[in-house]
Amino acid sequence: MNSNASLVTIFIGMVIINNMVLTKFLGLCPFFGVSKKLSNAISMGVAVTFVMLLAATATSVIYNYILVPYEIKFMNIIIYILVIATLVQIVEITIRRTNIALYNALGIYLPLITTNCAVLGITLINANNNYSIVQSMVSAVGGGLGFTLVLIIMSGIRERLELGETPKSLRGLPIAFVTAALLALAFMGFSGLL
Amino acid sequence: MLWAILILTGIGIACGILILVVNRVLPKEPASLKRAEQVNENLPGMNCGACGYPGCFAYAQALSKDNKVFFSNTCATVLHDETMLSGIEQVLDLKVDKAALNRKAVVACSGNCENVGIYTGVATCKTATKILGGFKRCPYSCLGLGDCIETCPENAIHLDIDSNIVVIDPDRCTGCGLCVNECPRNVIKLVPVNSNIVFLCNYHDLRDIPGRGKCDSGCIKCRKCVKACPAEAITWNKDKSIPEFDFEKCTDCKACIEACPQKILIELKNVSKKIKV
Repeated sequence: MNSNASLVTIFIGMVIINNMVLTKFLGLCPFFGVSKKLSNAISMGVAVTFVMLLAATATSVIYNYILVPYEIKFMNIIIYILVIATLVQIVEITIRRTNIALYNALGIYLPLITTNCAVLGITLINANNNYSIVQSMVSAVGGGLGFTLVLIIMSGIRERLELGETPKSLRGLPIAFVTAALLALAFMGFSGLL
Repeated sequence: MLWAILILTGIGIACGILILVVNRVLPKEPASLKRAEQVNENLPGMNCGACGYPGCFAYAQALSKDNKVFFSNTCATVLHDETMLSGIEQVLDLKVDKAALNRKAVVACSGNCENVGIYTGVATCKTATKILGGFKRCPYSCLGLGDCIETCPENAIHLDIDSNIVVIDPDRCTGCGLCVNECPRNVIKLVPVNSNIVFLCNYHDLRDIPGRGKCDSGCIKCRKCVKACPAEAITWNKDKSIPEFDFEKCTDCKACIEACPQKILIELKNVSKKIKV
């Protein structure tokens, strides 16, 4: 997609067709770590969407107003990492001091959003496609919602799997990987949509 | 090129200032997390999960909310380390009675039975026990393939080459119970450390007597231990046909040790030295 793409196309593309987790295989760590309980999954999805939106806004402002005019587009990776790390640190401090319950629910996965390749992935996709600021924001919201959607589906399936009789060697993470593979196969059905 | 360096530096400084501002503006850290950090300093940090909580920090958070959690889910490593234990007692304002909580794991098998054949399958106890009940004559014995050895966070279990069963070193064992869950034949038992008597037979079936044909040193169900105990601390369990020990009544007189004709009642401190009769 080039920067002439419409907002709706970008949004639907990021949610279903180029889904962050199932098509691009980014952000697998929190995907497998937080998808055991539905409530945790929703909180994590919302946190990641929020971080993606902030990160995409900030980085696209920097890209369009600083990196492009001064012709230093190659600096985007390192500057994006710096900005994303700062943003996530701020989010973590805020959650830790204002809402303890949410902090306990997310636990170790909060700092993991920093190194989450999904967040960096969204910002780099925006840079590669030369999106404007509004397009970047829509793309980030789409990416975050796609991530949340798949996280909710996965946690629903995993909650059911806990009740079933999985062979002991496959319990926990192995069967989750198999489930994710089947989900990815299912989502491949959307690939010709646009 | 110069712009690149300047801009990178500028953005870095801006990010630092932003974090500083956020740190000052937001309300202070809630007291519960600070306390959890304090408790966490006295925990081993092994994250073994034996206490039932996902990691030491989660245990610290549970302890900072309710310090009775230490008695219901005891961290065995803290119990055995003087520094950590006194630190926890101080931070949580507790009095810990080590003797009451202390347990040791023991392999309840004397290791005297023969192999039925040569086993060439997957070398784990869980697999071997599914094939006709294991390759030893006694279906309740220890197989010695060592699933428990890898589970022990203190490296207290090792294989005894003479008898081909595993032995748990009572000095290193902290009684965390991870090996008890791992053993597919439930041979490992937890005994209170002030009990000092260990019963080395796991055969709990009414049908056969192990001493005849299965194992030379199995329990022959003569019940002499029951009769010998002056404090009536030993009772006979009819359904499983094994003796059961009530360690609250035991006076450590060692009468049962002398009375047992198969010599499978021994003291806890003699466990690691010799198993075979």
